[in-house]
Amino acid sequence: MSLDMVFLYLSAALAVGIPAIATGWAQSRIGPAAAAALAEKPELTVTVVLLIAIPETLAILGFVIAVLILMQGGG
Amino acid sequence: MSRIRVLGPREQLGAVLERVQDLGLVQLVEPAERESLNLLGLTPEQERHVRGVRQIVKDVDAAIELLGKTVSPPRAPQDIELPQAALIAGRCRRELEGLAEQRQGLEEERALILKFRPFFAAFQKIGESGLDLDGIRVFYLVLKEDGEDELRRMRAAFRQALGDGFELLSQPSDSGDSAMLLAVPSADAMKAEQLLSEAGVQALSLPDQFEEQSVGATIQRMQARLGELPGELATIERERRRIAEDRGRDLARIQATVRDHLATIEATEKAVVTPRAFVLEGWIPSAARPELDRQLGKSFGNQIEVEAVSSEEWAGDTVPVVLHNPRLFRPFEAITGMMPLPKYGTVDPTPFVAVFFPMFFGIVLGDIGYGTILGIVSLILRIRSRPDTTLRSVSEIGLACSLFAIIFGFLYGELFGDLGHRIGLHPIIFNREEAFFPFLGFAVALGIVHIVLGLLVGAVKMFRGDKRRAIGKGMAALMVVLIALALMAAFGMLPERFFTPLVITALAALPILIIGEGVLAPIELVSTLGNVLSYARIMAVGTASVMMAVVANRMVGAFGAIWVGVLFALVFHLINFVLGVFSPTIHMLRLHYVEFFGKFYSPGGSQYRPFRHWSARESASEERSK
Repeated sequence: MSLDMVFLYLSAALAVGIPAIATGWAQSRIGPAAAAALAEKPELTVTVVLLIAIPETLAILGFVIAVLILMQGGG
Repeated sequence: MSRIRVLGPREQLGAVLERVQDLGLVQLVEPAERESLNLLGLTPEQERHVRGVRQIVKDVDAAIELLGKTVSPPRAPQDIELPQAALIAGRCRRELEGLAEQRQGLEEERALILKFRPFFAAFQKIGESGLDLDGIRVFYLVLKEDGEDELRRMRAAFRQALGDGFELLSQPSDSGDSAMLLAVPSADAMKAEQLLSEAGVQALSLPDQFEEQSVGATIQRMQARLGELPGELATIERERRRIAEDRGRDLARIQATVRDHLATIEATEKAVVTPRAFVLEGWIPSAARPELDRQLGKSFGNQIEVEAVSSEEWAGDTVPVVLHNPRLFRPFEAITGMMPLPKYGTVDPTPFVAVFFPMFFGIVLGDIGYGTILGIVSLILRIRSRPDTTLRSVSEIGLACSLFAIIFGFLYGELFGDLGHRIGLHPIIFNREEAFFPFLGFAVALGIVHIVLGLLVGAVKMFRGDKRRAIGKGMAALMVVLIALALMAAFGMLPERFFTPLVITALAALPILIIGEGVLAPIELVSTLGNVLSYARIMAVGTASVMMAVVANRMVGAFGAIWVGVLFALVFHLINFVLGVFSPTIHMLRLHYVEFFGKFYSPGGSQYRPFRHWSARESASEERSK
C-alpha cells in the first residue's frame, strides 16, 4: 500500500472519528441533563429526543465527508 | 372555530348548561363584552357547597388511584346524592390509605429481613458461641469475599483502641461474604462505630422490632416473620380487592357525578346575567355549529338565541385549536401532537408530515424484507389496538412506512441487504452499496424540495398579514433553488453556461431578501443551506443500514459451519431491523421538527376543551392512552 493510500484512509478515519468523539462527548453531557429533566417533566420527551439527536449531525456529516474522501481518492 | 353567544331567560340557565354539557361541543369562556352585565358569581352558601364538592373530588380521586386499574369509568353520566357520595368517598379513601400504609410497612420489614437472610446461618452460629450480651452493644457486619486481610487489620485496630474489651467473631455465609459479629461494651459503642466507619465496613442495622437480647432469638424471630409476611400482604391485597369489588363501581359513579357537578358550577361562574336574562359565550368548531343550533332549538324552541360573535370582539383572545384532517392523514396527528399545538389560523403541518415522513423513512430503510416485517408487525398492532388510540395511530404510521420501505426496496433492488441482488433483483434507481454520490445527491435534493416547500408554505400563510416578510421568505426559497442550480452547473450536472446567469440572478435577489427579512437575512439563508445539508443524514443512515445487512449476509460461511453463520446472520439482521426502524424514526422526526417546521410552524395554540360530561372526557383520554 502506498503512502498516499495510508494518508487517504487515515484522513477518512479522522473525518468520521473526530466528529464521532465530539458527538459522544456532547451526548454524554446532554444525556444526564435530559434524564434529570425527564424525571421532573416527562412531557419534555420530544424535546429531549431532539436535543440528543442534534449532535448526531456531526457524526453523520463526518461520515459523509469520509465517504467523499474515500471516493474522491479512489480508496 | 367559531365564537358563539347563547342568550336566554335567566331561569333557563341551569337547563341550558345541562344541555350544552350533554352535547359536549362548546368550550365556554367569559364573555368578551359585558357592559351592564354581571358575572353570575357564587353566594357564600354556594361557595361552601363548592368546597364540599372539591373535597369529595379529592377523596374519590385518591381512592380510585389507590384501587388502580380495577375501576373503569362509566360510559354515561351518572346520578348519585352528594351527601352519600361524600360518605362513601371519604370512607373508602381512609380505608385504602390505611391498607396502603400497612402494606408499605410490611414490605419495608420484608426488605430488611431479606438483607439479613444470607447471613442468618452465620450469625446464628456466632450467637450459639455462648457470648454473654448483657450490657454489650452488638454490631452485625458484612465483610466482602477475600476480606481476610481486612479482618486482621480490623482486629489490630480494635485491639489498639479498646484493648481486650471486644469480641469479633466471623463466619463465612452461603453467599461467600463473611458475617461478622462485633460485641463491645456499651460505653465503647461510639468508638467502635468510628473505627468501623474508618475501615469502611458495612454494618447492618437491625430493625427496631427485632432488638432482642439474644442473636439466636432475633434470627429465629426474623425467620418466622419472613414466613408470616406473604400471608399478611395477601390479606391486605384481598381486602383491597374486596373494596374494589364492593365499592369500585360506586366510586367511578361518584367520580363522574361530582366532576360533572363541579364542571357545571364552574360553567355557571362563566355566565353573565341581567335580572331577567343570561349570556353564555364559547368556542365551537364551525362544522358543529348547525348541530348545536338544531339541538338547542329542539330543546328550548324560541326561548334561546344562538348568535355568532364578530371577530372584532375577540381579536385579542386565544382561540382554541382542534386538529382536523382527512382519515388518511389522521394517524400522523400523533407526530404533530408531540409538538405544542399550532396557533389558531396558522398551518397544521399534518398533511405534509403524512406525505414526507413515511417517504423519507422508506428511502432510508429501503428494503423489501425489512419493510415486509415492519408491515406484518404494524398489521398485528393495528388488529390488536382499538380505534382512536395512540397505538392505532402508531400502527397505521408503521404501515405507511413499511409500504414506502418496500417500494424503495424494489427501487434499490434490496431484500435483506444484498440478498436481493443474489436472487436476481436489480436496482432500478441506484445500488446503495456503491452509489454513494447519487444517493447523497438524492438526499440533498429531497432536502431542497422539503425546505423550499416549508419556506413557500410560510410565505403563503404570511402573505395575508405581513406581505414584506412573506416576499422575503419567498425570496429565500428562490435563492435556495438558485444556489443549488448554480452548484449543479459548477459541478457539471447542468450545462456550464447556466452558471453565470444563475449567480447573477441570486445576487440580484439578495437585496430583495434583505428588504423583506431584514439585515440578518443572509445569515438566515446560510442557516437554511445548513438545514438542506442536514438531509445528508438520509444517505448516511440509509447507507449504514444497508451495510449492516450486507455484513449480516457475509456471516453465512464465515464461521465454518453453515448453521452457525446462518444463526449469526439472523441475529445480526434482527439487530439491524430494530436499528433500521428506530434510527430513521428519530432522524426523520428531527428533520421534520427542526428543519421543516422551523420554516413556517407557529406553536402556541391552546387545546380545545369542550364543556362536557366527565365520563365522556375520561373515556376519550382512556382511548387515547391505549
